Amino acid sequence: MMFLFSNCKKEIITQNEINNDYTYNIDNEVIYQSNVEKTRQKTPELYISILYSNLFQTTIPANDLSELARIRAATGDKQLADELFLNAFVNGGNAIIPSNNTMRDDVETFIADTYLRFFLRIPTAYEVFELKKEIEADAQLTPELIYQGFALSNEYKFY
Amino acid sequence: MKRRNFLKKAGITAAAPFILPSGRLFAATGARVVNHVVFVLFAGGIRQQESVDQQYLMNQGGNTAGNIMLNMLEGDAPNNNIIFEQWAPILNQPLANQGAFFKEVLYKNGPTGHYNGHTVAMTGNYTETGLNLNINPEFPTIFEYYRKHSDPARSAINSWWISEGLGPYPSLNYSQHAGYGSLYGANYLRPASLISQAGLNQLGAAVNYQPDDVDRILKIKNMLDRNFSNQANALPGIQNTLNEREMIKTYYLETLQQVLNGSFEWATPNNSLTELTGDLLALSGAWSILDRFTPELTVVNTTNLDICHSNFTGYIDSMHKADFGVGWLWNKIQSHPVLANDTIMICMPEHGRNLVTNNVNDNNGFGAYDHTSDDNSRRLFAMIAGPEDKVVRDEFGTFGNAAAESIDIVPTIAHILGFEEDIPNGLLPGRVLNEAFY
Repeated sequence: MMFLFSNCKKEIITQNEINNDYTYNIDNEVIYQSNVEKTRQKTPELYISILYSNLFQTTIPANDLSELARIRAATGDKQLADELFLNAFVNGGNAIIPSNNTMRDDVETFIADTYLRFFLRIPTAYEVFELKKEIEADAQLTPELIYQGFALSNEYKFY
Repeated sequence: MKRRNFLKKAGITAAAPFILPSGRLFAATGARVVNHVVFVLFAGGIRQQESVDQQYLMNQGGNTAGNIMLNMLEGDAPNNNIIFEQWAPILNQPLANQGAFFKEVLYKNGPTGHYNGHTVAMTGNYTETGLNLNINPEFPTIFEYYRKHSDPARSAINSWWISEGLGPYPSLNYSQHAGYGSLYGANYLRPASLISQAGLNQLGAAVNYQPDDVDRILKIKNMLDRNFSNQANALPGIQNTLNEREMIKTYYLETLQQVLNGSFEWATPNNSLTELTGDLLALSGAWSILDRFTPELTVVNTTNLDICHSNFTGYIDSMHKADFGVGWLWNKIQSHPVLANDTIMICMPEHGRNLVTNNVNDNNGFGAYDHTSDDNSRRLFAMIAGPEDKVVRDEFGTFGNAAAESIDIVPTIAHILGFEEDIPNGLLPGRVLNEAFY
């Protein structure tokens, strides 16, 4: 048992309660109590920058941002452009995404981590139930596809 | 007589109007001439002297005349003082002989600038705006008229605006006009930004998802959206339907693959990459879209010959090559199973250039030309090429006696695609060039 788990990486999250807000040692982001706090829509530039950071855990290089902006300007359907960028980020091989096996070994931890990563909040019990049901019902539902669903959601476009 | 006036004059009233299944009160009236229009804005600013008048170097002290647009114009190429790279014509017959050739068209009002010229050509309205502003034009574009007034209304995948450069051009796929706008805009692409190192860098890893995986992503998104009360505002720009967006994404990714594996078709002699110019890349991109989606309305521009502000030799070379690209495009269209004999191609510069040179000479000592709204820069030409039984073979207009204005192209396209009479009165001051058709 010890050998089997010796290669698993476990993410340690320390939680400090400050003025009823919770901060996690993930880029020192302040976590939302609920999604009703998100009322402002991200600009396209902010969306892409944050998306890159969420997926690669680093700031987007200026040259990449410039190239993305140029391709975006050259495309009439901006939603199309953003979806292709997301697709390329996720499938490029360098995004930090858990494997399908890792996800399915501990689905609830994956869900909590994904909500924290994209939505900066803890999922409600119902949200965990909903997404867990989807994951367990569909063996082809991979973390890459789930991440893209999160990145395209309305909540992700707000802060 | 427009339908509205006829009904008014006939005193026809109805207790309840007849509503079509599409929700329209009336069906689009005119019969179509053909089902596809390709409008090439042979742009950048072309003088009649070097194009239609075939004066080549006559105004540069070179004493040599000749036709450098062998795919568009009838006439012999210059046989000496060759300052450009000569490419053999690709068409057996120049476009001028394959339709109605308006040898003199007038750009009557407003500054002869690129943004203005494009706006005039694509909205059918003159504009006094003198700057290259990246803002949507005031009056509806031909795309919006097409999409709104065709019956049934057309989705965006049927109309495309393809530009050689960025700058102000991306904003010409729809207008700010009330009742029109992005809901009826065209898809837009600048091929040089997609088919580029940047495109390969940023999109090369993207996956062409199968529909099942697209559904999975959407299922997760929709599930999350149900738990969030705010709806993200639609991004500025046009919106394709879900299915058509996926089709276009697939097109983008497959195009990049074709470029990588060498199967992409370039508008150059022998499909050569080394001969590619910005204009030819735009025309290659236009063909790629026409081949894939067979849109009913496509507008593409070329602009490289604007080098004429400082380099007359470059202007001649660019004009010759853009002419090749147009011929190549027409050749492709006429070889396509859907587009052949069911497409009309319209070619027109957005404006001309001045009569007198500026103070800049190129390495050959030739003087350059600007376009600052003098009378010469208001001289254009237009070609309407198409099936022999639909488009007359004739010439119209002479120097000093223009046969058309640049605002006439939009109503003419509307006529070709059968919706001209459905456009509300007052929006289009130009006329349909009826003399071009049987």
